Amino acid sequence: MKINVYGSGLSAWVAAACLAKVGNDVAICEMSPTEQQELNKISTVRDEPNLLQQLEQQIDSGRLVRHSQRVLPEAEIHWLAFQPEQQNKAEGVMDRLSQADQYGLLVVNQCNFAVGATLDLQGRLGEKGYVVYIPDNLQEGSAIQGFSHPNRIILGIDQDEALAKARALLRPFTTGLDALQLMNSREAEFTKFAITGMLAIRLGYVNELANLADQLGVDISVVQEGMGADARIGAHYLSPGCGFGGQNFHAYVAKFSGIFQQQQQQSLLKAVVGANEVQKELPFRKLWQHFQGNLQSKVVAIWGCSFKPGTASIDNAPSIKIINALIAQGVQVNIHDPEAVPNLKKYYTNVGLIRYFKTPMEAVDGADALLLVTEWPLYWSPDYAQLAEVMKERLIIDGRNIFDKQILKQYAFYYYGVGR
Amino acid sequence: MNNGEIKAWVDLLAHAEDMKGRHLRELFESEENRFDGLSFTAENFLLDLSKQRITKQTLSQLTALAEQQSLGEWIEKLFTGEQVNVSERRSALHTALRLPKENKLKVNGQMVTNDVHASLEKMESLVKQVQQGQWRGFDGRPIRSIVNIGVGGSNLGPLMACDALEQYTPLESKLLDVHFVSSMDGSELEKLLPWLEPATTLFIIASKTFTTIDTLANANTAREWLLKASGKPVELINQHHFIAATGNVERAEKWGVPEKNQLLFWDWVGGRYSLWSVIGLPIALKVGMENFRDILKGAHAMDVHFRETSFDKNLPVLLGLIGVWNINFLNIHAHTILPYDGRLAHLPSYLQQLEMESNGKSVNGKGERLNYRTCPVLWGEVGSNAQHAFYQLLHQGTELVMCDFITAALRYDGEGEELQLQHQLSLANCLAQSRLLALGDESASDLSYQHYDGNQPSTTIMLDELTPETFGGLIALYEHKVFVQSVIWEINPFDQWGVEKGKKVASSLLAEFESNVSDYLDSSTQGLIQRVQAQRGQHEN
Repeated sequence: MKINVYGSGLSAWVAAACLAKVGNDVAICEMSPTEQQELNKISTVRDEPNLLQQLEQQIDSGRLVRHSQRVLPEAEIHWLAFQPEQQNKAEGVMDRLSQADQYGLLVVNQCNFAVGATLDLQGRLGEKGYVVYIPDNLQEGSAIQGFSHPNRIILGIDQDEALAKARALLRPFTTGLDALQLMNSREAEFTKFAITGMLAIRLGYVNELANLADQLGVDISVVQEGMGADARIGAHYLSPGCGFGGQNFHAYVAKFSGIFQQQQQQSLLKAVVGANEVQKELPFRKLWQHFQGNLQSKVVAIWGCSFKPGTASIDNAPSIKIINALIAQGVQVNIHDPEAVPNLKKYYTNVGLIRYFKTPMEAVDGADALLLVTEWPLYWSPDYAQLAEVMKERLIIDGRNIFDKQILKQYAFYYYGVGR
Repeated sequence: MNNGEIKAWVDLLAHAEDMKGRHLRELFESEENRFDGLSFTAENFLLDLSKQRITKQTLSQLTALAEQQSLGEWIEKLFTGEQVNVSERRSALHTALRLPKENKLKVNGQMVTNDVHASLEKMESLVKQVQQGQWRGFDGRPIRSIVNIGVGGSNLGPLMACDALEQYTPLESKLLDVHFVSSMDGSELEKLLPWLEPATTLFIIASKTFTTIDTLANANTAREWLLKASGKPVELINQHHFIAATGNVERAEKWGVPEKNQLLFWDWVGGRYSLWSVIGLPIALKVGMENFRDILKGAHAMDVHFRETSFDKNLPVLLGLIGVWNINFLNIHAHTILPYDGRLAHLPSYLQQLEMESNGKSVNGKGERLNYRTCPVLWGEVGSNAQHAFYQLLHQGTELVMCDFITAALRYDGEGEELQLQHQLSLANCLAQSRLLALGDESASDLSYQHYDGNQPSTTIMLDELTPETFGGLIALYEHKVFVQSVIWEINPFDQWGVEKGKKVASSLLAEFESNVSDYLDSSTQGLIQRVQAQRGQHEN
């Protein structure tokens, strides 16, 4: 099938790579300044594991082209993967297609615009074809796997005539699928928001519990196991930490929270988004309290700055808030991150207080404290004896509860987790 | 001044005899373009004196009086830092607080402008830190609430400015809420504290001397509240929850405010002239440093106008002389301030202090008793509200009252139509009231209680628009007006010995409540203290 993919965000690149891989002829229309850039210069592409290789392979095979090189004129499928704030671009595409001399088009809307947006797009497209909605379930760090082997797909569809074509398009990705759920597009759009909001609220609640556990001297990880064992609750999304970040999750939650506000409803979600921003600074506050507010000239090491392991992205990452707070107090910040350093260097230009290190151990050498912010696998089991030896003060603030508290105690560390 | 010896004064007395018999209605009828001849514009202000009981001749005789009293020389003395505050041997250099950086002013070998701007810059960095959420409370969370503890000049100016300019709050200050407490009995603080979160509240202790008992009592209560809520040591609380805006480093330090949290001003800034200094910190936090600098800019423009413009076109000079005319020649001793703009609700109480504390004096600079009247009783209220309160007295009472109507020509630009109509409604009321007060009721009524005499004089000050700049200009206009009057009356507007004495007497009485009342006290004071003691005794039993 001939497919045009629109957008320049991670979802667009992943869709283009995966759709081309299964044999489609795909053109990606970035409609953004990235069109002028080489693939390996685009951070969205570079930061997602395996994505760059996949894209290069598909381009080499000839199945994937970038818009700037050659347009796919007679595409019958149009895949919209714009950012939430780019609805006008999606509308522009619809207006253009409605002028074209083509019928029977299938438009897949994967954008997180609003409840009812798909129907609006259908209105613009008119008789030329059908617009369906497939929620974007992308998980940064495992986006390709998620697109190619989903467990379930929700398909928002308003006219039965579109179903056969949509099924054909999705067939390569539906092996091993537990369910293909059909609903109308507004219901599907609402479902997408509802799921994301629910996860955010769950995380927000867990964080609130952890903060209370801190004050009451209860170990949240034990509580977490107890909660997870209850079948009504389950074990997912129960780990407290110093806040969630990332481009997509954050954008969805903020957008949904915005819809609530438009409807003039008191929003639980708004409170959660606000609390999450506060939670991001938690490691800083623990450090502040430990030193009684005297941080001037301290040296603090940070392990992990990307918003989660497996990505180089620092969008809305807790580390940014923490680093800002530290440098405002005149703290020397020693950073290690396996992938995010180039992005950090771009974000913090000419900040004399920040230094970058090649290994985690070099970063903590002579430090007054270690802040673990992102739980990259390489941090989980450090050489505790060496840590104790090289650090100036034995102080660890564990924003993700990954370290062994007992061992740290043996080495006479001060240890602060999130709720433990 | 022995006013009998001053020719201009004597001439004015004669002229006043003439004018006393003339009604404002008649003056308007006899001069077709009275408004054109008796209204003045400068620096985004219009000053309408046509509803004052004057003619052009009055103004020229008043400016002659100003000349005879060497007003021009005094203005120069004020601006160049001479010791115009003779009883305390100080300059009064509030005008230096709004000098642009490049206008160097040296006083007694000290480069004043440099000190002023260094202090402003320290304030700016502090403001930024708070706005960016990087000023942290005891648990590491960012400060969100600011409470200014101060009284008199350390309260009225910043409170008025924050209220007047709220619409100019920049995005980075939207998360901050700014509060003011002043009353010595703790009433305001007691009401406010339950709404605040200790960990995210920052207190500004604003006191020039850092000895003002009202302020220190409130500061101590605030600190006790923080210590209880936090369980932290006092040093930590002092360091992260208190800023001092003061002229007394030693006292601030002794109370516990560390050096890095001290913002300084100087003994040549009078308390009631201090909103331009670091006392303006709450203003800068609320409306942003850029707008604060615009306030200074507007005031500076008025300074330049005052210093450089001939008296017959000089707004502060004219405003001051009109007051002298009404007080000393038409025998009007009540003055009301009527802003027709809710944003200026605190202006009347601000001017009460500025005018009455400055010119409420009965001796001249040399300490000799005066044989003429000085500052009148001054009060006021948002005009449209005052219409439902004390206007009845203005319209039909027995007292002569001079009024200042203050309003902005434009408001709510680009906002809702209904709001713009509300502004027009307010303007219409402003103009209607000053008109009725001046002209009275023309239609003769048989019913005497329906009769309006009119002939109450008023000034209308119309700003083009209320902005940080025009706000600064308005306050500077009144400051200089007060100075002009002090020069005519030959008094020192920059001291306040009566206030100082009151403070001393109060502190000497404090101990009297604890034991047997000293019998050297008057019987009234003794009786009242004994009553309190008796009530306490009953309460304890």
